Amino acid sequence: MWLCYATMISFNQTLKPILHRIGSMPVAILLLILLAVASVIGTVLKQNQDQIDYLQQFGPTWYWTFRALGLFDMYHTWWFLAILGLLMFSLFACVLRNAPRFLKEMKSRKGTLSENARKHIMHKFDLTLDDKAKAIASIKTSLPGWKWMETKVTVAGVETLWLRGDKGRFHKWGYILVHISMLVLLIGGAMSTQFGFRGNMAVPEGKTESEISFLKGTSVEYLKMPFEVRCDTFSINFFSTGAPSEFRSTLTIIEDGKEVMTSDIIVNDPLYYKGVRIYQASFGDGGSEVTLKLHRLNREGNIDIAKAQVYTMYEDPYSDVTMEFKDFRPYNIENMAPAGQAKDFKDMGPSVDFVIRGKGLKPVLVRSMMDPFIMDDKNQGSMIMISKTGDARDFETFLLGLDFSNPKEWQLFQSFVGQLPTNKDATKEDNLNAFRAALDEVYPDGRPEDLQMLGMRVLQALKVLPDMPWPFVPMLDDFDQTYYTGLQLAKDPGMNVVWVGSAFLVFGLCIMFYVAHRKVWIKIIDKDDSVTLEVTGLSNRNPIAFEQEFTDLEQQIKDAYEQKKGVTV
Amino acid sequence: MTALSMTFSSSGPLFHGRFAHIRCWAYLGMMAGMAAMAMFAGGGYVEDEYIFQLFSMQGATWMAGGAVVGIAYALTTSKEKFRAYRFSEILVPWIDGAVLMVALMGLYTLFEPSEAMITYEDQSNLISGRIVMAMNVFLLFSAITYVAYLIAPAEFIGKLGTMTAWFGVYAGGSALLLRWYESYLLMGGDIGHAPVSNLYEVFIFLFCVICVIYLTLESRHQVRGLGAFVMPIVAGGVFFSIWLESIGQSDIKPLVPALQSYWMKIHVPLNFVGYGSFAVACAAGMAWLLREKIEMKNPDAKVLSVFPSLKVLDQLAYKAVAIGFPAFTLATILGAAWAAEAWGGYWSWDPKETWALIVWLVYGAYLHARFSHGLHGKTLAWWAVLGFLVTIFCFVGVNMYLSGLHSYGQLS
Repeated sequence: MWLCYATMISFNQTLKPILHRIGSMPVAILLLILLAVASVIGTVLKQNQDQIDYLQQFGPTWYWTFRALGLFDMYHTWWFLAILGLLMFSLFACVLRNAPRFLKEMKSRKGTLSENARKHIMHKFDLTLDDKAKAIASIKTSLPGWKWMETKVTVAGVETLWLRGDKGRFHKWGYILVHISMLVLLIGGAMSTQFGFRGNMAVPEGKTESEISFLKGTSVEYLKMPFEVRCDTFSINFFSTGAPSEFRSTLTIIEDGKEVMTSDIIVNDPLYYKGVRIYQASFGDGGSEVTLKLHRLNREGNIDIAKAQVYTMYEDPYSDVTMEFKDFRPYNIENMAPAGQAKDFKDMGPSVDFVIRGKGLKPVLVRSMMDPFIMDDKNQGSMIMISKTGDARDFETFLLGLDFSNPKEWQLFQSFVGQLPTNKDATKEDNLNAFRAALDEVYPDGRPEDLQMLGMRVLQALKVLPDMPWPFVPMLDDFDQTYYTGLQLAKDPGMNVVWVGSAFLVFGLCIMFYVAHRKVWIKIIDKDDSVTLEVTGLSNRNPIAFEQEFTDLEQQIKDAYEQKKGVTV
Repeated sequence: MTALSMTFSSSGPLFHGRFAHIRCWAYLGMMAGMAAMAMFAGGGYVEDEYIFQLFSMQGATWMAGGAVVGIAYALTTSKEKFRAYRFSEILVPWIDGAVLMVALMGLYTLFEPSEAMITYEDQSNLISGRIVMAMNVFLLFSAITYVAYLIAPAEFIGKLGTMTAWFGVYAGGSALLLRWYESYLLMGGDIGHAPVSNLYEVFIFLFCVICVIYLTLESRHQVRGLGAFVMPIVAGGVFFSIWLESIGQSDIKPLVPALQSYWMKIHVPLNFVGYGSFAVACAAGMAWLLREKIEMKNPDAKVLSVFPSLKVLDQLAYKAVAIGFPAFTLATILGAAWAAEAWGGYWSWDPKETWALIVWLVYGAYLHARFSHGLHGKTLAWWAVLGFLVTIFCFVGVNMYLSGLHSYGQLS
């Protein structure tokens, strides 16, 4: 007893004021503003990028300041979560404080209306009918949706009957529901982050994987799944513009060494297994085998074969040059039309990307194409793209002149270079003779068809190839492609709570905005042989719709009364 | 879509009483028939084929069957239940408008170039582009007319503004429908999709939404003067969309896999109901601020004759928010549902999501200021205007300046 009393006192004296303060509007608004400002920062400052990029972008001072504040993974910092937590608390306090008042207001219905109040209300009419009992009965029974309450008032010995009708009296539930629903949403969100996980998994075709990786703050963390995922096949369909139309992975779930299910997933259609959803998120090269021909830029002009896998390093045994393979693409569809003209999509064929490094060489990103560039049905020779910054957006295209997919052209070039006169006063005719001799050597059975084009391309090669900084021309020759499928795995125990909260929220908002609390007072005044109904109506919102409804009401009462009268007579 | 009712309502029984009631239920029955066909007809629902099924004998049978049931129901409702009639009278002009739009679209298809002339690479000969141009002209003309009406309040000028705005809505709506149809003509029907997939398309949709919301408020509250503030916002959007077209954003392009979902048809339009009503609220706010300024200088100014009163403007801004806020909330929630299906989580703090939250907070605060604190007038007028600036950033700015999961809305 004493304990109970003490708790009451301590609640009233300490907890209640705190609750009131936190549940008050200024605090809530402060929290919402903080949330909004933080959110703006989070969108303007790109989240979860490479730390090195941040360092480059902001410089050391700002980088360390931002990092200390956790701005690079802001939505998971303690202070951001604290704002959300306080908001939750504030909502809770707000509901606790206001809901009882709302409920009380909904219950209390004033049965009468003063003359003075009636004067100021727009919607009213007087109706005189013959039969009091029938009038009351017709009001009470035949007006759909109205809830009626009787009040008897005796003034100076004269008893007056009042009828009060309500429609949409529950509209204050809208406010309560909306605030509770947000509480539910925040609880659901907290459950998701506390008990759920979300991470990525890259599974090459034919391989099995069981670990997901995700970012936590600035570091990458790993989590083992209770099952393994095998990617049986991965396929992509393309539109003719080169844009992917569908990625599809066939996945097999393996648990305790047993295959438990096999299913296809595509974007927008995840797989569900034991509380974990598996989404198709991305795809990429899963370590394709590539074969390159290295055309030596030396006197012999021999061709070496370089075999490598994407994501591995190839070291040239004859020089100190290395190639780090980055990516392989089976298609390269480009719009060949000049800007502003009708588009002309063309597949440029397979390509491989690698970074080439060596002593005294500036490391550059190279894209080597397998097929020659054909324009207007004419072979323009092979193509290589070089990005000096290492960014794929900065690729510059170089036409090498020769078609490296045709080994004879390289032979021709070598033979031509070998026979070129070396003395300074060689004439054009001498050069031409050297070309003819080279042609005779490489094409003993007659000249190739596009001779003129070929000649021009050899000249182009003569201009371009000696400027190459590398000891060889690396050209893609063959490939065996494998993809990896990029999966996202997520477990979200709070999701259903969030949906329940969402449903509440929408429902509550609809009540709040679209249900008007409409009240009608009817004062029934007895006359000698008739009865006068003084009807007054009030609505807390949407006066225009209410005017219509109120006018209808008059008609409805009249109709119902007439009907009642007709039946009994 | 209440243009029809505005033109004819005073004159004929077309939109009143029994006839409206029966027509309404015929429509509703027809829609039920369409839904039933999707659910129960042989083969199940296949999105890309459904539309063509509708226009086949099978579709006609299901729809006619539904319509007959609907009419039968309507005939059994007694005249005394005039609340039921009222429901039909409110609903029927909207469906009439939608039917008219579909009919217009059907009419345009007759003028479409022959199939051999239509290529993905060059879409300039498709008719929808021209109808969008007509819409642009209507809307710009309407904006000018409304402003003229405010300055020289002749009934005729005002009516002209309203009428051209409606023409703009019908042109825009039917052009979008036609664009939907045209997307199936390209690349053998592989890339057919609803016309709400890029900025250009949603802009057209947005114009229609703003106009419909405003015009409905106009006809209900007799506030034609407000048009001089709403339509210039639309006109600004028209210039932006013309610019989008000039940089090649108007081409029908295939959908990236993430967008290939029925959710797109629900999430995007609903969002624009929100954006559209916030635009109307902004216009009412601007009108409020201007009127207050004029009143302070000269309370008898001539320009105030058709200018809605401060009280009405305050009410209208609230009304627009009351339409937009629940729609925007629902759209965001449905977006979360889509994200849970496509991206691995209902909320990822993606820039678009975060800005949607900010917009939501801004208008949530507006409502609190109004109801909990009883604020009215100047503060709320400014709030509506600034809130719309935040909305614009959420809608266009995020796509142009921030990248994220929603980046398919980006200009490239």
